[in-house]
Amino acid sequence: MSIVKTSSLSKIYNPDTVPVHALKDVSVSFEKGEFTTIVGPSGSGKTTLLNMLGGLDKPTSGTVEVDGNNITGMKDSALIDFRLQNIGFVFQHYNLIPVFTALENVSFIMLLRNRSKAEMDERAKALLEAVGLGDRFDARPKQLSGGQQQRVAVARALASGPKFILADEPTANLDSASAMNLLDIMEKMNREQNITFIFSTHDQRVIDRARRVVTMVDGAIHSDERVGEAVNG
Amino acid sequence: MKMILTIAWRNIWRHPGRSGVLIAAIIAGLWAGVVTVGTMNGLLHQRVNYLIESEITHLQVHHPEFLTERRPADTLSSTAALFRFLDEDSRVQAWAPRVLADAMLQSPVKTSGVRVRGLDPQREINTTTFHERVTEGSYLNTEGIRNPVLLGEALLEQHRLRIGNRIVLTFETAEGELTSAAFNIVGQFRSASTEYDETTVLVRASDLARHLSEVPLYHEAGVLLYDIDDAPALAEALNAAFPEIRAQTWTEISPELSTLVQLGGLMLYIVTMIIMLALAFGILNTMLMALFERMREIGMLLSIGMSRVRIFMMIVLEAVLLTLTGAAAGFALALLSIRHFSASGINFEMFAEGTAELGWDHLVFPILSTGEFVSIGLIVIFVTLLASLYPAIKATKTSVIQ
Ligand SMILES: Nc1ncnc2c1ncn2[C@@H]1O[C@H](COP(=O)(O)OP(=O)(O)OP(=O)(O)O)[C@@H](O)[C@H]1O
Ligand SMILES: [Mg+2]
Repeated sequence: MSIVKTSSLSKIYNPDTVPVHALKDVSVSFEKGEFTTIVGPSGSGKTTLLNMLGGLDKPTSGTVEVDGNNITGMKDSALIDFRLQNIGFVFQHYNLIPVFTALENVSFIMLLRNRSKAEMDERAKALLEAVGLGDRFDARPKQLSGGQQQRVAVARALASGPKFILADEPTANLDSASAMNLLDIMEKMNREQNITFIFSTHDQRVIDRARRVVTMVDGAIHSDERVGEAVNG
Repeated sequence: MKMILTIAWRNIWRHPGRSGVLIAAIIAGLWAGVVTVGTMNGLLHQRVNYLIESEITHLQVHHPEFLTERRPADTLSSTAALFRFLDEDSRVQAWAPRVLADAMLQSPVKTSGVRVRGLDPQREINTTTFHERVTEGSYLNTEGIRNPVLLGEALLEQHRLRIGNRIVLTFETAEGELTSAAFNIVGQFRSASTEYDETTVLVRASDLARHLSEVPLYHEAGVLLYDIDDAPALAEALNAAFPEIRAQTWTEISPELSTLVQLGGLMLYIVTMIIMLALAFGILNTMLMALFERMREIGMLLSIGMSRVRIFMMIVLEAVLLTLTGAAAGFALALLSIRHFSASGINFEMFAEGTAELGWDHLVFPILSTGEFVSIGLIVIFVTLLASLYPAIKATKTSVIQ
């Protein structure tokens, strides 16, 4: 069964003034353990699609199902909680709480889920170590490089134990070394823990790392290719 | 909750300058407000206490018409029974009988209208503190001088008189005839009120009574109680026991005094309102600024699953912590100032001329009750909550998409 799936998804921004058809009848499905990138020219609808998959925005028509739950009709407050329980997010910027340390940023999401303190601390530390920040627990986001910040964001996204992680251009602000480092970590999480990633990018070297490439053009899916051997089929 | 508290507290210090200014303003505002109110309170309290202790006492007894008509013949009746009652009542600490008259004071220089207070010196000393106001010479208990009189310094000056001089007082007797008598100045006083000093002369009750009537008479008795709050009950008891006289508490005798006390309350109210209004605007402004800068961050928090209720609490807590920091420091400072000044007093000597003219003392001891302190504190918190409501609600309306 797919972990997240859209059916005839359409999104029209400003329907009453200057309508923009950002998504046109998109039906796509993502499986557990996939490592997918969404690519396409600027304005093709990548961010819009990711927002729909994450329940951050409502479609004009069509549905989004996460693990069999139709999230399209959910009330806002229910959706916030649903995101907390099911989906991890990594954004391009403004990812972290600036007044929290790396460790606190990661524990924060578990606190939101009312996890016990001991369990939380241990897990947050393990996650930061896994993303190569074992020595920066107490650093504030400002004291971290862009790449380190994105790694904290990945650790945070993983912390709540989500069904999949959405990342909209996670490497866009990073130099290529940091970008590759981030991809290494994401790939490792995917390979070792079967974490599902769906991320968008413009960067060809990032695209090369994906095992599925969904190409969007003008709000529609232009192509959907699987490359290399897929983990867990 | 602890996490929200942490995030709120640290958010305050993201802009130490901005938060610092608001905190400083809260400290200054509260300090100034509390000290002002405390000083006002102290001033009023002192004024009220001074008048009560130096002259009015807690309770007065008169002929029912004396206070309005001031007729020499409106004297206290059944004084023997009345005085026995006062001697025997356990609530009464001391009492002093008085003979009162309006008179013309003649000196070689000029003539002025004065109020003559005939006092029983020993009883008066036990009942009131006015003898402490005698600045030179002696109180009326000097032996060997006939018809002693005390004048206010201001009146002495006007008449270019000094101790040892003689004045003539002319007044109406109980029978309605005019009579004059010579009095010897044995001392001078300065009360807190120049006006009082210019219009009041003190003589012995027995001397004045002798000139007013063949038989002993009294117009007034001032009663000092152990507990000022017993005044209404005792007045009632006296009025019931002696229908031909009228007992009144200090609030009835001097309604302007109770007005003064209420004025103190009003001042407290007005000053508090002004501070709170400023506080509300300060909080609103700071929180809205913080909010606009943090729209994206709040959007991110909503995205990753922080509920709107928690966002709301975060903003409210931020405002409350901000205020509490300032309020705690402001109150501590105010408390220290009030402590300090209530021991040593605030010296208004440089305005003493003016303050004495108005009947105020120049050394003021600020007073603020614990109740007033606590209620100002509670109002501060309440106003902060109220002022943070709008930014907090606005924060919850932030859209998720950045
Ligand atoms: N909030 C919005 N209001 C109106 N139009 C929008 C909004 N967000 C996106 N659009 C429009 O929808 C279309 C798709 O935008 P989207 O952000 O999904 O593109 P994208 O593929 O992510 O582009 P980029 O690579 O530049 O990030 C664009 O034409 C964009 O202008
Ligand atoms: Mg985009």
